[in-house]
Amino acid sequence: MSNHPLLEVKDLTTSFFTSRGEVQAVRGVSFDVSPGEIVGIVGESGSGKSITCMSILRLLKSNGRVVAGQAHFEGQDLLKLAEHDMRKLRGDDIAMIFQDPMTSLNPTLTVGEQIIETIIAHRGSSRKAARQRAIELFELVKIPEAASRLNSYPHEFSGGMRQRVMIAIALCCDPKLLIADEPTTALDVTIQRQILLLLKEIQARLGMAIILITHDLGVIAEVADRILVMYGGMVMETGSVDTVFARPNHPYTQGLLTSVPKLRTAHKERLRPIPGSPPDMLRPPVGCPFAPRCLRAMQICVGEVPPIFEMGDQQTHKAKCWLHHPDAPTNDEGAA
Amino acid sequence: MLAYLAKRVGMMIITMFLIITLTFFLMHAIPGGPFTSEKMLAPEIEAALNAKFGLDDPIWVQYINYLKGILTFDLGPSFKYPGVRVNDLILDGLPVTAQTGFLALLCVAALGIPLGVLAALNQNKWQDTAVMMFATIGVAIPSYVVATVALYFFALKLNLVPTFGLDDWRGYILPVVALSGFWLSFIARLSRSSLLEVLGQDYMVTAKAKGLHPFTVLFKHGLRNALIPIVTVLGPVVANLLTGSFVIEQIFALPGIGRHFVLSISNRDYTTIMGITIFYAAFLMVMILIVDMLYMLLDPRIKLAEKSK
Amino acid sequence: MSDAKTSIPSKNWAPARLGKGEAEYIAAPSLTYWQDVRQRLWQNKPAMLGLTFILFLIGAAFLGPLITPHTYYDQDLKLSNIAPILEVYEVDDGQGAPTYFFMNSGNFKLYETNEHGALKSILRAKKKDLIKKRHIYEFGDQQVFVDFSQLPARLLDAEENQLAVYGTKWNQTYWFGTDSLGRDVLVRQLYGARISLTVAFIATLVNFFIGIFYGGISGYFGGNVDNVMMRIVEVIATIPLTLYVILMMVVLQSGFISIIVAIGTVFWVDMARIVRGQMLTLKNQDYVDAARTMGAGTWRILTRHLLPNTIGPILVTLTLLIPSAIFIESFMSFIGLGVSVPMASWGTLTSEAVETLRAYPYQLFFPAAAISLTMFAFNFLGDGLRDALDPRLRT
Ligand SMILES: Nc1ncnc2c1ncn2[C@@H]1O[C@H](COP(=O)(O)OP(=O)(O)OP(=O)(O)O)[C@@H](O)[C@H]1O
Ligand code: SF4
Ligand SMILES: [Mg+2]
Repeated sequence: MSNHPLLEVKDLTTSFFTSRGEVQAVRGVSFDVSPGEIVGIVGESGSGKSITCMSILRLLKSNGRVVAGQAHFEGQDLLKLAEHDMRKLRGDDIAMIFQDPMTSLNPTLTVGEQIIETIIAHRGSSRKAARQRAIELFELVKIPEAASRLNSYPHEFSGGMRQRVMIAIALCCDPKLLIADEPTTALDVTIQRQILLLLKEIQARLGMAIILITHDLGVIAEVADRILVMYGGMVMETGSVDTVFARPNHPYTQGLLTSVPKLRTAHKERLRPIPGSPPDMLRPPVGCPFAPRCLRAMQICVGEVPPIFEMGDQQTHKAKCWLHHPDAPTNDEGAA
Repeated sequence: MLAYLAKRVGMMIITMFLIITLTFFLMHAIPGGPFTSEKMLAPEIEAALNAKFGLDDPIWVQYINYLKGILTFDLGPSFKYPGVRVNDLILDGLPVTAQTGFLALLCVAALGIPLGVLAALNQNKWQDTAVMMFATIGVAIPSYVVATVALYFFALKLNLVPTFGLDDWRGYILPVVALSGFWLSFIARLSRSSLLEVLGQDYMVTAKAKGLHPFTVLFKHGLRNALIPIVTVLGPVVANLLTGSFVIEQIFALPGIGRHFVLSISNRDYTTIMGITIFYAAFLMVMILIVDMLYMLLDPRIKLAEKSK
Repeated sequence: MSDAKTSIPSKNWAPARLGKGEAEYIAAPSLTYWQDVRQRLWQNKPAMLGLTFILFLIGAAFLGPLITPHTYYDQDLKLSNIAPILEVYEVDDGQGAPTYFFMNSGNFKLYETNEHGALKSILRAKKKDLIKKRHIYEFGDQQVFVDFSQLPARLLDAEENQLAVYGTKWNQTYWFGTDSLGRDVLVRQLYGARISLTVAFIATLVNFFIGIFYGGISGYFGGNVDNVMMRIVEVIATIPLTLYVILMMVVLQSGFISIIVAIGTVFWVDMARIVRGQMLTLKNQDYVDAARTMGAGTWRILTRHLLPNTIGPILVTLTLLIPSAIFIESFMSFIGLGVSVPMASWGTLTSEAVETLRAYPYQLFFPAAAISLTMFAFNFLGDGLRDALDPRLRT
């Protein structure tokens, strides 16, 4: 892995302006993605995972706006790019796969058309060449009878096959960064595994970086290099997967991990919920967003957002929790 | 596709048959109607009439004869105008009705859909508010009110357009506006909500995430899908433009089929009522079939659902 | 993160007490579905405006005719086509007794009023000079000419000067004026509202019950019964309904009952489809079982899960059915197939007004305004209800 990160997100802050007020979906998120690296993002529903990625690609709904922050991709700030140049990056250098393959494909166009139009838009190749490329891609994602399946409509495919189509579309211009937003959540357990293995295999072959959003810590453990734990629109803990899983340093991560009894299991385990519910991002807590549910919350947690502390064990391991303040009362669990 | 078409045509013929039968027996069930005995006629005239229209035959013979006539596209003689056939009345009115109806349909589609798209693309901005206000007014005010008020102001008061007739292109303006007003508004509202619905779909995000040109995203992915529900209501729209033409032709004194129809109602010209009803029904069936085929072209899911059956 | 090293007062490191606050936080106050619906409807200004107008209209239509001195059928041909707003002139007969009158610009006749605009009687011309196109009236020793040699007609005094208007008065006797048969427009208007609303409500109810019955049976039995019944509905749906109503009216002969029967038996198809759909979901009670296993009581299931899902679409269909029934009724009456004379409905009133459009255009105003406002009101209410019941549909 090279020293220069491929993507460098700094203090990303995104809000939605609704009739009920400002929904602060993402509140100062920072992270890097190096070339060829797989970064997993976990967190409960509503923690801002999707919105973080959509902000980077500038695909927010019209009521959403990036309020502050930067997102440097190969040195240029995506958030300052002209829309025209941004469009050229989407689907080309940065591609995205979505959660629900049932609804992410246009039902009235053949899958072939949906992949060919992308190739033509970015490569300007002839229809014939684009079609040839589409067949190759279908073979790459292991869709049988690739050539004839190009003429089928999305509803003629099963969920897993549709997700393969989505992946093929995403890969059509050899992206440097692939953002996969819960690519397996909507699928059957056995299919989930196949898709995951496919992604991993393709990554090994093509070497692009992947941001993998998921609810499933098992998935992260299996494929990701680095993990980002999000809560309440903020990154709570980050570090290499091995380190964070071995020594979770944030009460929220600890809660997540203990709520999954067996990792690395083929059987789909839903997170056993941590008691309580995530904050309402219309009126997020003033202090640590996790404080209302944290068993170890202190007075300061309620009043002030904790800063990010570097853990000693590894350079990239960081946690956003007051427990790691030098003045904080020491406790056996803190460094467990 | 062919099997589906054949099935639709089959259904259509059955429906048509039901409509003809229903209309025939309804007309013959009228108490004191001409098919039983006309009031205040000398017995010999009545007998002559009965013989002329075959009213002395048993009803099922009349029914079979009528069906036979329809098979040869003959709707029989008018009951009130001696020597005039219902076919002639329809042919006489057809150009006027077809012209105004076609222009109205054109207005509905060519203005209604763009207005709805404009509103949806500018959701909650002034364009949206303006279109929705216009559409609400258009949906609420009945066509005959629009027609009479417009007639008064633009024809009688301001003398901008003729009060009746189609001798001049300006003569078409008011009838077409009054005829299309409601459906124009309706289609504008439908297009707006349909496009908004589509714009919120995941596949639209996918299309943008693929880096397609905004025009491609809007037209190829957005509008194409948004058109599907609009096409499904085009059949009913045509039907309602037709029935709407009854009052519009009356108010503007246009010599169309609708006017013949309303006249035949007040004249109790039963064969004409029957004939025009059947003509309308047949026309609508064909329109609905065309709309169905359009729909299949737009939405591949239908084609395949039928194929797999 | 520079503040990471700054020292923090030690009391801040004490455990936070979250007992009560946390519970409150988790169980944020939530409104029940119906409270929510009511609140959303309440906040929807056009819908509330519509509802207010409808209630007002119903009140006026049913109470109004009881308290006016006129009836909807009393004719006074001498006082026909009187406008609601009168330009009153004053003439002195020489002995200091003033006479007030106005001119009907449609027929050039003069009518005596009092100074406030209450109608007294028609005045008789002394002489009609058809060559010079003028009528001569005498008030004591004063002469007044109605000159209609050029239009609009003018009122001249003996010196051929145009008379000055005494005042523009609201017609005190007939607030909305009279029609071509000298009937009170206001009462006919209220009566028309009564007929139109009654027809619309009853016809809608009939449709509602047929729809519930048909759709309910179809959905309840399912299978082949459902198949056949829905095929029939498909066939009916392709028949142009206005045409059907017209045929029914031709057969039944126009009249109050006929129009209710004709409209009442036509528009149930949508309702039947919706009820059937609801019925099928109700039969498929998986989610009810799910709610029950999660410990929800029967009442809660009924009010929170079943009713909102079932009643909502039916209610919306119902509110939007009423304006279409009103429209069809007036449409039928307009082409002469509605209620029979001397009964009035908005459609007949409009078509009567169209006949006198050239001479008395204002007669169009009241029926046209009444039906348009009513359509607005019902549409607003229906849209508001739909938005309130299902905020996801709000666009
Ligand atoms: N268009 C929008 N308008 C208002 N709020 C929104 C909008 N889209 C998202 N949000 C809010 O932003 C917050 C973050 O949403 P986001 O989709 O990023 O969550 P997520 O972590 O991806 O959750 P999930 O696991 O359910 O996908 C949520 O509180 C959500 O309610
Ligand atoms: S900062 Fe406080 S409340 Fe937040 S996770 Fe750490 S200990 Fe818990
Ligand atoms: Mg998400």
